[in-house]
Amino acid sequence: MKIRYKLFFSFSLYILLAVILAFFSYNELRTINTRLTSVELVDDISNIILEVRRYEKNFLLFRNEESFKEIRAYLTTLKKNIDGIKIEIVKEIGTNEYTLMKNTITEYEHHINNLANNLRSREKLTTEVEEMGILLEQNLHGKDLDSFLTLRKHEKNIMLSKDQTTYETFQSFNPLNLQGNSRIETYRGLVSKLFENYKTEKDLTDKIRSTAREMETITKNLSKKEREYIDVTLKKSGKLLLFGLLTIIILGIVINMKLSRNIAHPIKRLEGITKKIAKGDFSEMMEVKGTDEIASLEMSFNQMEKQLLDTKISLEHAIEKLSEKQAQLVETAKLATLGTFAAGVAHEINNPLAIINEKAGLMKDILEMSEDFKHKDRFLNMIDAIFKSVKRCRTITHRILGFSRKTEVSIETFDLNDMMREIAGFFEKEMLYKSIHLDLNLKENLPKVKSDKGQLQQVFLNIIKNAIDAVHDGGSIAVTTDNKDENMINVAIRDNGHGIPEKALQYIFEPFFTTKEKGKGTGLGLSITYGIIKNLGGDIHVESEVNKGTTFIVEVPVNSELTKGEIV
Amino acid sequence: MSTKVLIVDDEIEFASTLAERLVIRDYDAKAVYTAEDAITAVQSEPPDVVLLDLRMPGANGFEVLSTIKSVDPSIEVILLTGQLKSESVVEGIPTGLFDYIVKPVDIAELVKKINSASEKRNSGTP
Repeated sequence: MKIRYKLFFSFSLYILLAVILAFFSYNELRTINTRLTSVELVDDISNIILEVRRYEKNFLLFRNEESFKEIRAYLTTLKKNIDGIKIEIVKEIGTNEYTLMKNTITEYEHHINNLANNLRSREKLTTEVEEMGILLEQNLHGKDLDSFLTLRKHEKNIMLSKDQTTYETFQSFNPLNLQGNSRIETYRGLVSKLFENYKTEKDLTDKIRSTAREMETITKNLSKKEREYIDVTLKKSGKLLLFGLLTIIILGIVINMKLSRNIAHPIKRLEGITKKIAKGDFSEMMEVKGTDEIASLEMSFNQMEKQLLDTKISLEHAIEKLSEKQAQLVETAKLATLGTFAAGVAHEINNPLAIINEKAGLMKDILEMSEDFKHKDRFLNMIDAIFKSVKRCRTITHRILGFSRKTEVSIETFDLNDMMREIAGFFEKEMLYKSIHLDLNLKENLPKVKSDKGQLQQVFLNIIKNAIDAVHDGGSIAVTTDNKDENMINVAIRDNGHGIPEKALQYIFEPFFTTKEKGKGTGLGLSITYGIIKNLGGDIHVESEVNKGTTFIVEVPVNSELTKGEIV
Repeated sequence: MSTKVLIVDDEIEFASTLAERLVIRDYDAKAVYTAEDAITAVQSEPPDVVLLDLRMPGANGFEVLSTIKSVDPSIEVILLTGQLKSESVVEGIPTGLFDYIVKPVDIAELVKKINSASEKRNSGTP
């Protein structure tokens, strides 16, 4: 998979995780929010209950209708509110508790109503007792009235203290004179009813208080449970958040590590190989893995390395060739310097040598004209020895002078065939003397050569002289010219002489190498020849077989690379 | 009558000794050591054969050669050369050189060449 896709997917994964986390957190927050609303409602309920209880106290204290009405109004609101959060309450404290709460409220309401009714009936009873008492007080006289007034005093005590003992005292006070009076019996019955009413009121008050407390307990319980739930939810969402964040962080680290390893590892390897390449070590290549951008980078890198290696090899090849050429140039320059130097020395030696030769000659002439004397023959022999040595010196100086080159190149245009004829003419007498047969196979219509004629003459003079020296009397030499192509003319000089041993062939262009017998060759001719022809942009090859002959092939460029006046 | 030979070379010892050796061999040989003397000698007493060194200090051997040829084109000139230098040989041939001989000189070879030159001059002159 491509790296950009990997990056895209890992980034998408982070976002997805973050969205999921945010979604859950939002959900939790919403739950908490709902719960908070419930808590508010529960608080409202508690408040209403408190109000109810406040008016309940008033009502119990003052028994007034206003307080009762307030209680009823608050109870209505309370019931409405409870119905409003029925689902939450049921969820929190269960259906039974909810029913219990509802029932408690209904019961409370019922008791309150009963108490109100009880109070209303008490007022009526009190009035009836009072009216009956007054009526009886007006109708009774004497002892009866006294007894009745005592009874009324007990009645007042009941009204005041409302306790059982007072009531029992009232009941037990029944003098004979008041017995049998139906009105008094009615009065007594009314007082009993009133006391019953008191008793009911007390009973109801107790019940009201107990149900009210129960209501409060249930509400408190509900409120507590709601808060606990919120607490739990908060803790839960905190944990969720922590877990989600940890997951994102750990996943992020793992994915980033994997991705960075995928990217960094190949880069590190690239760095290593690049350093090796910089040191010239091309042995290692990148291992191509997968199909992503790194893989294509690795492939491109390998291609680059290959091309670099190719370039390096061709460069090394070029440098090698260049050094070879340079070595040749140095060699040529050395030979040229050596040639010039040797020519100077040879020229200086040649003149005194000529004088020695002439003086010795004159000595010999005089000796030959003289009469015999002691040691005459010895003198003649010694003069011959001088001649021999002069001849040896002459051979050396001639060789050096003859083949040393001019330091200045002079370019002219000429016909190579004409030049070969001139050179042949130069050796004509020598070849005639040695009975050597010369064949000139010169191809007609060769292009004119533009080169240093003098130097080229030296080349061919030297090769032909070597050929003459190589062949026995009666041997043959063939000179052939031919154009190799439009830029190069081949001149082949073939002799049927003694040939050159294979081992010597590789050294024949080296300076001071000679196969001629001692004193006959200087070993400079062919090395100078080689230097000249290379210098003029041509080449020279040799093929030889011992006792069969030698062929020198000289490639002469139609246009020499050198310009007039160049120092070589 | 013996053949008249003029030797022109700035090496006095060489030229004089060679002249003496040629005299021993019955040639009317004479040596001069400068180009001026050579020209004077040619004009006053024209020789049959001249042995000429082209390289002399302060003189152009070719001038001597052309003077010789202007006095008498039939005077044969043999070049005395210190080296087997193709240039001199090739340049000399068209200007009327008979032959050349390389120093140090082999007297037998020189005698042969002088005789050939003399023969040519005698046969060429009616």
